[in-house]
Parts: sequence; structure tokens; C-alpha cells
Amino acid sequence: MNHLDLSRRELLGAGAAAGASVLARPAVADAARHRRRRPARRSADVVVIGAGLAGLTAARELMRDDRSVVLLEARNRVGGRVLNKPIGGGEHTEAGGTFAGPTQNHILDMARELGVGTFPTYNTGDNVYFADGTRMTYSDSGPTGTAPPDPTLLPDLTTVVTRLDEMSKDVPVDAPWEAGSAGDWDGQTLEQWIQANSVSPRFKALVPAATRPIFGAEPREISLLFTLFYIAASGDEQNAGTFERNFNTRDGAQMFRFVGGSHQIAARLAHRLGSRVKLGTPVRRIERVHGGARVVSKHHVIRARRVIVAVPPALARRIHYAPALPADRRALAREMPQGTLLKVTAVYDRPFWRDAGLNGTAVSLNGPVNACFDDSPPDGSPGVLFGFVGGDEARRYRSQSKADRRAAVLKNFADYFGQAALNARRFFDTDWPGARWSRGGPVGIARPGLLLAHGRALRDPVGPIHWAGTETSNYWNGYMDGAVRSGIRAAREVIDEL
Amino acid sequence: MRRTKLTALAAFAAVLAAAPVAGAQRARFDTRVFARIPPPGFPAMAYVHPNGRVYAGTYVNPAGSGSRSRVFEYDGDGTLMRSWTVPGQELSKDHGVQVATSDARGRLVLLDRSPARALLLNTAKGTFARYATFADLKPCLPLQAGTDCSPTLEDREPMANYGAWGPDGSLYVSDYLQGVVWRVPPGGGAAQVWLSDRRLDGSEFGTTGLALAADRRTLLIGQGSSAGLGEPNPATGKIYAIEIRPDGSPGGMRKLWESRPTDLPDGFGVARSGKLYVPLAGTANQIAVVAADGTELERFPDAPGGGNNESAIPFDTPSSARFLGTRLIVANQSFTGNRDNQALLDVEVSERGLRELIPGRDTSRPRLSRVSLSPKRVRAGSHRRVRVRFTLSERSRVSIRVERRGRRHWADANGFSQRRAAGPRSLPVSTRGLRRGRYRVVLRAEDRAHNRSRHVVMRLRVT
Repeated sequence: MNHLDLSRRELLGAGAAAGASVLARPAVADAARHRRRRPARRSADVVVIGAGLAGLTAARELMRDDRSVVLLEARNRVGGRVLNKPIGGGEHTEAGGTFAGPTQNHILDMARELGVGTFPTYNTGDNVYFADGTRMTYSDSGPTGTAPPDPTLLPDLTTVVTRLDEMSKDVPVDAPWEAGSAGDWDGQTLEQWIQANSVSPRFKALVPAATRPIFGAEPREISLLFTLFYIAASGDEQNAGTFERNFNTRDGAQMFRFVGGSHQIAARLAHRLGSRVKLGTPVRRIERVHGGARVVSKHHVIRARRVIVAVPPALARRIHYAPALPADRRALAREMPQGTLLKVTAVYDRPFWRDAGLNGTAVSLNGPVNACFDDSPPDGSPGVLFGFVGGDEARRYRSQSKADRRAAVLKNFADYFGQAALNARRFFDTDWPGARWSRGGPVGIARPGLLLAHGRALRDPVGPIHWAGTETSNYWNGYMDGAVRSGIRAAREVIDEL
Repeated sequence: MRRTKLTALAAFAAVLAAAPVAGAQRARFDTRVFARIPPPGFPAMAYVHPNGRVYAGTYVNPAGSGSRSRVFEYDGDGTLMRSWTVPGQELSKDHGVQVATSDARGRLVLLDRSPARALLLNTAKGTFARYATFADLKPCLPLQAGTDCSPTLEDREPMANYGAWGPDGSLYVSDYLQGVVWRVPPGGGAAQVWLSDRRLDGSEFGTTGLALAADRRTLLIGQGSSAGLGEPNPATGKIYAIEIRPDGSPGGMRKLWESRPTDLPDGFGVARSGKLYVPLAGTANQIAVVAADGTELERFPDAPGGGNNESAIPFDTPSSARFLGTRLIVANQSFTGNRDNQALLDVEVSERGLRELIPGRDTSRPRLSRVSLSPKRVRAGSHRRVRVRFTLSERSRVSIRVERRGRRHWADANGFSQRRAAGPRSLPVSTRGLRRGRYRVVLRAEDRAHNRSRHVVMRLRVT
């Protein structure tokens, strides 16, 4: 399994995006020099913690507003849950956040501004649906979109999706806990609601196949209110969120990819921030002091008027706060784990599935891979398939040997696209739950009761400490767009206070 | 040579051809969805803050609601930034808030339905404070006139509706149901009846929009109907003009404009030209444009009723209109409860709004003068500091940005900010870590009210 907190050698060897590498070298060298010194003391208007898309965006906004800003990142790279991995021939595949779609204008605008192009996700031909040894192909231009039009589950699928969409309209995206039925909805899991509102066993088996890639979790692990919020958030201020926009490739969240990989965006943002970005600098302690805060890492002690913590709640709790954070915020960080999601990638000489009229998208009731996509470069060379392994499947998968994992994934791909899938030129998986500075993905998940009890603490600043990260976003929570939105919002909050 | 000229000409032609696309102007009355309002919905007013952001409160749900009212903050492009939940409301009664205006410190002034009060919302801290209260007036007895009774036929509750600052720092507030205009003294407190007039009795559809005219001494008052029989035609709405006399008392009230029956004119916006853009929340579902002299000029859309503005959301009880640049932000309340229509709409009107009077607001920019940099050339690796000297017109935070000249653009190399008092000052800038090249040092000052000086740019050479 690939470890995501790369050493310098790994980083350079992996040939991560050029901008990131250029940044990493002096920063790592700096770190080596600093090891022999006492922590450098300095001051800044704002310290941003976490150089994922949220932190980078916040720092850029602050820089544009003429504020002095220092961005501290624990890893030796930028991007957070966005990461390119080389697949040879100068091509990359995304091991983290990959797609963008309609209504995700913040990430699309940012990419445009930074000169990172987009191209449509390969979607010519049919999708594959695999259930209990039976394979079915279908077009995603039908009424169910990416969801399979299996006649044994169709009535439940239609009814449940319509009801969830309708219920989600009553959920305020900025404060789901204020929904009129929040008490009822946050008091049950998605699984409980599905059990009570559907009859088809196959449909009930399909629901985890959707929640694993979307949340990295089983339906029993997430509250109904959180699910409804996620649906409501799958839109923007002009377009109400829908499950279809979240789940679909056509006109949905998987519609576009970024030329050169999504990590280009993070790398180019970091390049513009220049020496403000300090890599290999995990923050250990944030002290609230008169007039601001003191941020302590191994190499730096920075006095700042404001701090933006742009990491997921589960990671933010690993920082020591003095004085302690309010009980609400501590409880939120304690009880909001990251999803359990891995991405598995198989590289082939060519995208052979396209010859058979398939677009590389599959939905399967049988794991470990419950959903996969064509992740080939724009010119289709080499052919790349990636799959999501989430929830219980991920927990089982992680305990297997490397050879068993490879065999299991390639068997899945062969079931979906034919025996040629067994002949992968290269195979790797990306273990986000095992990444020290991520602890999982794609998003922090809310179990029943969490949003109602502690949801307010997600964004409420604590003195000089402000919170960013895709988990704090009102729209496209859990997505790159949400991360960018949260960075802008946190920066504006801070600018208002400075 | 000729070829070069032709190429240049072709390039110029291409630029010309592309220009209209790049700088495409929106047609007048082009309407777009600015933002849908999340639950609990029913936006009755959108307030455009001097900071360029738009604030909308959620108002009364006629079907009843146990949800507390919310205030939403939108960026100028319609991005939802933050929100706040209003504390202390009486949820068993009709409840809702409108963001009426903001004060000199940038805090929002909210008018709350239940209890009848004005709140100050500090958006930076997320704190609420009571600013004013509005009394429940008893109907005036026959022949009784005065400031402690309501001129309405029926006894109704207070319902603070729209607000506008007067030149002396008083806040004038229209009361939708009690037929009065309140005056909140500077600094806040219990509101006093400033104007009581039978013409402001609209029964269920009373006094609405309120704005200070360009002369800064005339209040414009909107009236939804005259169902209280203070005017000959009870079904039409009106806009009245009334002078605030130098001693603060009301002058004579004159009718500026009269709507068509059942139009229910609501919270209007005032353009710099003096034109009024009046949303018609009744059966018309239109925006009426009224000249400064009260002549009705046009209506959008042409046909009343359907509210078809060619955007994804029709006008559906449009309740207020405020200027954001050359655009009107119209609050679509959808009183009948179609939540898909509860939104803020963005209507291009190709003219700018009258700047709102906010007494005490600091709008003057700090000035940087006598700016110099010494030395202007340093050696790379010398770790030498250069000093920026300047004179500040007022206490400000001075930010300094050092940028290195790149192939295409200037790239940030360093930056910091420090607060400095007014007068001749200086700041040291470290050149440590700067590579050889051409640099520029960009200086700017920002005062406590977030007014900013112009950038001052100086050149620095690292050799």
C-alpha cells in the first residue's frame, strides 16, 4: 500500500507535479537546517494550518488582501487529499480528489485562473452493473443516470431518491441542525430509514454500494440528516442540490477532470504563495494569547492575529490548544471521524474496455470495488481504471496482503470489463485511512446525533481560531469545490476581524 | 514590413471582434437567480451592505414555523458565505427578521417581528444586541391625536418593516400594521412615534418601504394599500414624500405616486437618477419604475401577474429591491409558500443606486505621502534591510508587499503589515532570501473602517 506521507526521496522519485516538487526541495532543505536550530520566531497577520485546497485558497485570499500569511503544512507536499501519482510516460493519475462537475464553479474557476484545463470524463458507451455474478450494461442517459436500472430495485430506487431529494430541500445547507425535522432525522441512521422505506433486498444491498464511494462509510454509520445535508449541498446557490447531481457522471459531480491531474491546482496555488508555504511543519500547539494566537511547530513559533485551521476535524483535534477548545468543538472533533476510503488504480497499455463499447464506469454490489471509473489521460494512453474501496470493504481490504488485494481488485475489474483487466501493467492502491496527515477520506462523517448536538461548532470561530476545510463547506461538502469555498469563507471571516 | 502590418491589423481586428464578448453588457432588465434562500425561507428583504455583500433575513412563514429566523450573508457574486440564527424570538407567534440597514461600525440592523425590536448583529463576532423596541399602540380615540396611539381602525400589533437613517443619526422605521413611522433616537432605545397618519393605515397591507431621498432631508414612504380608508382608493398603493424638518419634526406629507389596484408596492430602491424601483408584491408581480417627480415610467415584465422575467424563477411576491452596482437585488418572498421561488433575483437596470446615508460612517481613505525607499539597490545575500519612509494621514495598518519581476507577471516574494499612527513613519523590510533581480515594493494603508489608500509602488534592485 502506498504511504501518503512521502519522504523527500519518495516525493521526488514519484515525480509529483512539477510545481510541488520545486517547492518541496528548498522547504525540505530548510527543514533539515532548522533541525539544528531553535524554532524560528516570527509574526504574521494570519497563520493557516494545512496546505490542502482549503488552506491554499485561504492563504491566497489573504495574500491578495495584502495580509501577511504563513501556511504551515505537516507533509512534505501540498494538496492534502488531492494527490497526483505518476503512471509513466509523463502521465499522472489522481490518487485523491479527481472530478468536478456542474455547479462546482469555485474549483472550476480556480483551475481556469491557474491555467489548468478540464476535459470531460470519458463517458462514451455503456456503464456496467454487476450484482451477484450477473453483469448488465446500460446507458447513463436513461432516467436512472449512473444508478443501475435493475428492474428488481427500480421501484425502490425511484421512490427513495425522489423522497430524499424532496426531504433535502428542507435542510439548510449552512445549518442542517436547524431543519424543522432535524431531531427526527438526526436520530436515525440512513440504514434505519432505508429499512423502513424500501422493500427490495437488492435495493438495500445497493445502498452501501453507493455510500462506500461517496462517504467511505456504511449506511449504518451515517445519520439520515447528514445524508440529506450532503444531497442538499450537491448544488449551489442557484441550483438546489440533488442526489442525481452528486452521483452521476453525465451532468453530475463526475463530469469533468483536470488536464495533468487535479494536483496541478494545488501546486500552482502553492507556487504563487512562494515562501509563505512551509512544508514538513506539523503544528503541535496553538496558544490563544492577548491579541491573537501563538502557533508552535517544531521549527517555528509564530505570533499571529488570527489562525485558520484548514484540516479535517479529526486531524485538528491532534493539535494541542491552550486554553482548551470549548466542549462543543472538542466533541465534534472527537466524534467526526474521516470516512474509510481507498482508491485502487490499474494501468493498462490501452483502455481496452472502450473497444467493447464500455465507458469504464461500473457500479457493483460485490466488492471490494463498488464503483469504478475510466481515469485514462485525455488521449486514452495509457488506459487507467480506478475504483473506490470504502466502508466495510475497505476495512477487510486493508487487512489483506498486497498480492491478495491486487488479485481481488483485478478480479472485480475483470468481472466488469472482461478478462483483459487481469493483465494490468501496473497496480497500486492509495490508503487514505493509513495516511498520518489525512486519517481517511473523502470527508468527515456525521453519525446520528452529532450535527444536532455539535454541528454549530464546525464553523464557529473560537477566539482567534477559524475553521476551514471541505467539512465546513455549505455547498459541495466533501469535494474540492467545498474546500475552495471554505477557504474563501474563512479568509473573509479573518479579513473582517483584522 | 507589410506582412507585419497585416498581422498586426488582423490581431487588432480579432481583439475588436472579441471585445464585445469579453465585456458583454447585460441588457436592461436581464434577470438571473442571485441565490435561492435556504430554509426557513421567505426572504422579505435583501440589504446591500457598503462592504459589497448582500444580507437577507428569513421572514414570516404564514403557515407557521417553529424554526428560528436566519440571516444569510452572500458575496457579491451570490456565494453563500455565512449565516446566523436569531436568538430570543417568540416562536409560537409569527416571527421573522429583515436586515434593514447597517450602522457606522458595519453592524447589521435587524427588524424583528416577534418580539417587535431592532437588533444589532455584529457579523465579525456573531453577537446580537438589542438596539430598539417598538411599542404596541392602542388605536387613537375619536378626536385623539398624538404620538402615543395608532391611527388605524383596528388594534394591531407592531410590525417594524423597513428602516432608514436620518441625518442626525436617528433611525426611522416604518410600521406595517400600526400606521406610524417610528424614530429611534441616536444610540438606540425605545422607539418614539415620529409620524402618525391615517393614510398609513393599510389594514392588513400597510406601510412598507422607507428611504431617504437624495436631498437627505426627505423621507420616502411606501404604502401597500389604503384599506384603512385614509385615502379615497383603498386598493391602490402609494409612495409619499415627507420632509424631516431641521428640528427633526415631520413636515407635510404629499403623495408622490399611486399604484394600480392590488399592486401592493413594497420596499423600493432609489437610483442616483432619483428614479424609484418599486417591487409590486401583490397581483402584479412586477417592478415599477417611477421617476423622481412621481411619473410612472415603465414596468418589468410588461405583463402583470405571472412575473415572467425569463430567469429560472419568476417574480413571486417581490418584496424589496436594493442596488448592488447597476443591479437590483430583488427579494422574492413567495408568500404563498412555493419554496422553489424563495430566492434573491439579480435584475440588471443599467444605472446605479443612491448611496445610503449611514451617519458616522468613516468613508475617507487614509493617505500615504512622502513615500521613499532607501537604499534602492542591495546586494543579494547581504541580509541588509531597506527602510520605507512615509507619512500617514491617520492611524492605519500599513501593508508592504515585495514582488519579484517574472517573465509574465510580478510574483510575491515577501509581505507583512504593521499598525502605525498618523505622521511621518518608517518600516524596515528584510531583503534576506531575495535573489538577484528586479523587485517592486508595494505599500498600502488601511484604517479601522477598512478604507484603503491607493497603492504606492517603489522599485528595488537586488544585484
